[in-house]
Amino acid sequence: MSTAVVETRPRRNPVPLLVSCGLLAVGAVLLAVFLGVVAIAPAEIVAVLTGKGSGEARSIILDIRLPRIVTGVLAGIHFAIAGLLLQAITRNPLADPSVMGVSQGATLGVTLFLLFSVYLNDPGSTARVTALPLEWLPAVGMLGGLLAGAFIYLLAFRRDLGPLRVTLCGVAVGSILHALAIGLIAGWGSARIDVLLEWLAGSLYARSWDHALFLAPFTVAGLLALYPLRRALDLLQFDPAVARSFGLSYRLHFSLALLLACGLAASAVGVVGPIVFVGLIVPHLARTVTRGRPALVLPAAIALGAIVVTLADLVGRLAGRADEIPIGVVTAICGAPVLIALLRRVP
Amino acid sequence: MPLACSQLTVAYGRRIALQDFGLALAPGEVRGLIGPNGSGKSTALQALAGLVRPQAGAVTIGGEPVAALGRRALARRLAYLPQQPAAPDGMTVEQLVRQGRFAHVGLFRSFGRHDRAVVDWALESTGLADFADRSLRELSGGERQRAWISAAIAQEATILLLDEPTSFLDIGYQVEVLDLVHRLSQERGVTIVMSIHDINQAMAVCDRISLLEKGRPVFDGLPADLAASGLVEQVFKVRGSFVPLASDALPHFDVELARRRTGVSAA
Repeated sequence: MSTAVVETRPRRNPVPLLVSCGLLAVGAVLLAVFLGVVAIAPAEIVAVLTGKGSGEARSIILDIRLPRIVTGVLAGIHFAIAGLLLQAITRNPLADPSVMGVSQGATLGVTLFLLFSVYLNDPGSTARVTALPLEWLPAVGMLGGLLAGAFIYLLAFRRDLGPLRVTLCGVAVGSILHALAIGLIAGWGSARIDVLLEWLAGSLYARSWDHALFLAPFTVAGLLALYPLRRALDLLQFDPAVARSFGLSYRLHFSLALLLACGLAASAVGVVGPIVFVGLIVPHLARTVTRGRPALVLPAAIALGAIVVTLADLVGRLAGRADEIPIGVVTAICGAPVLIALLRRVP
Repeated sequence: MPLACSQLTVAYGRRIALQDFGLALAPGEVRGLIGPNGSGKSTALQALAGLVRPQAGAVTIGGEPVAALGRRALARRLAYLPQQPAAPDGMTVEQLVRQGRFAHVGLFRSFGRHDRAVVDWALESTGLADFADRSLRELSGGERQRAWISAAIAQEATILLLDEPTSFLDIGYQVEVLDLVHRLSQERGVTIVMSIHDINQAMAVCDRISLLEKGRPVFDGLPADLAASGLVEQVFKVRGSFVPLASDALPHFDVELARRRTGVSAA
């Protein structure tokens, strides 16, 4: 018989961890409100937040910084949840929205839209960026992402939906869509390419309340849908045969989780572009922080998604001064070492 | 009759893995499935668990066709444990065993007193109460196998299907698993079907034995009759015989090995 040391560990209280995650998120947002390229006195900012303050400060805080921060928080939450869901159901720790072709589909959608919309609106003109209907980009990006996700789902569904099938179909279709988009850009580029490149890098530049309002309904719906899905998500991490014999309707819940992940990822990609690494790294960070308490991974990931995007955007804003660095570049540069460090910890 | 099937045929593409398989279990019966590798034991168990759809025939639980039951309704009546199942990274023993309660709590109901009591009982009866907070990865093969059995019995199903529960375990753990199987059938009236490679263990633990050869059933009956039939030697293509041990005990199957060891040892 094994002589194990009997360790009756007391149930650890989940409240301190969740509260500190929440406080960190609030702290990150406040930091992002108070710091910026245009230096505004903290007293002035407090005045603006309480409904007073000068016109210029009000316009910088309320019309530029806050909507940008809120959009970033929402997008961060979307990427984090989408990454967590995809990693769970594909049972692949390297999954992120690009695995389901969502990023690539959105890229192709936005590329096509930018190329053709010019001719639709104003035939015969030389495309000027100002003439581009930029307000449609989020919806178009989201549609492209969803179509790619749906196509991959159908491909995998026809051959017995499963973690490996979905991943392989996703990678294959994703690379084709990506190649098509790059080909179009290379062969057809013009002034539009600036808009496209900025969007491709993943950027929160000039995001307004309209963008935040576009995302908010999806965020609320996604968070509400997570509650009934939480136990199914635990089971989806098992082998399909095991999950089914535990009593899970595997196909149904796999499909629901996939739909939720694609919806969240596609809406966020549409608004801020494919911010690299957030969907991949935040779930790993959340697992590291919660260590062995799987029930807390989801709330931790939500908070960390908001924190990571807010701070990364702040770094991009401050580091570049007038020419700010797109957040996608910041997350890629900072994310890679973090990922390698996290993977080293896993035995 | 808790679990029955007749004329069950399962094919993967063109390859027929199971043909005309029939079974009728009495409540509390322990049934052993034996046969060479690839003879269809796992397929038979998966078909009984409703995990593969048969081309012909049907499985019934308490007279109801399995195909008509929802996954959760089925999981409350039947638990299935595959060979060498894998658990998500970092999962603890207790977290695994709690998954066994999904069939009862579903997506919304919270864990009640009864659910917690069943999880404790499942841990207790597999000797894992002290391991509840251990990560599955830290456990030995035998402990991990017991954790999975614990999760399966936490389903409180009256039918338990085990695919080679003793393979890869040392003899000590094999005996523990077989003892647990015996206790579940005797004390809780659980009906059990398990595939197993050790013919002597199968004869000792099982009330009845089914022998499969290339997907076809060739024997269904009492262990003593299996010994008398001469089918084991023929199906497994071994030279061997059943040796009587005592007048009230089942005979013991001994095989002849082709190479007889001499006293010379390798350098």
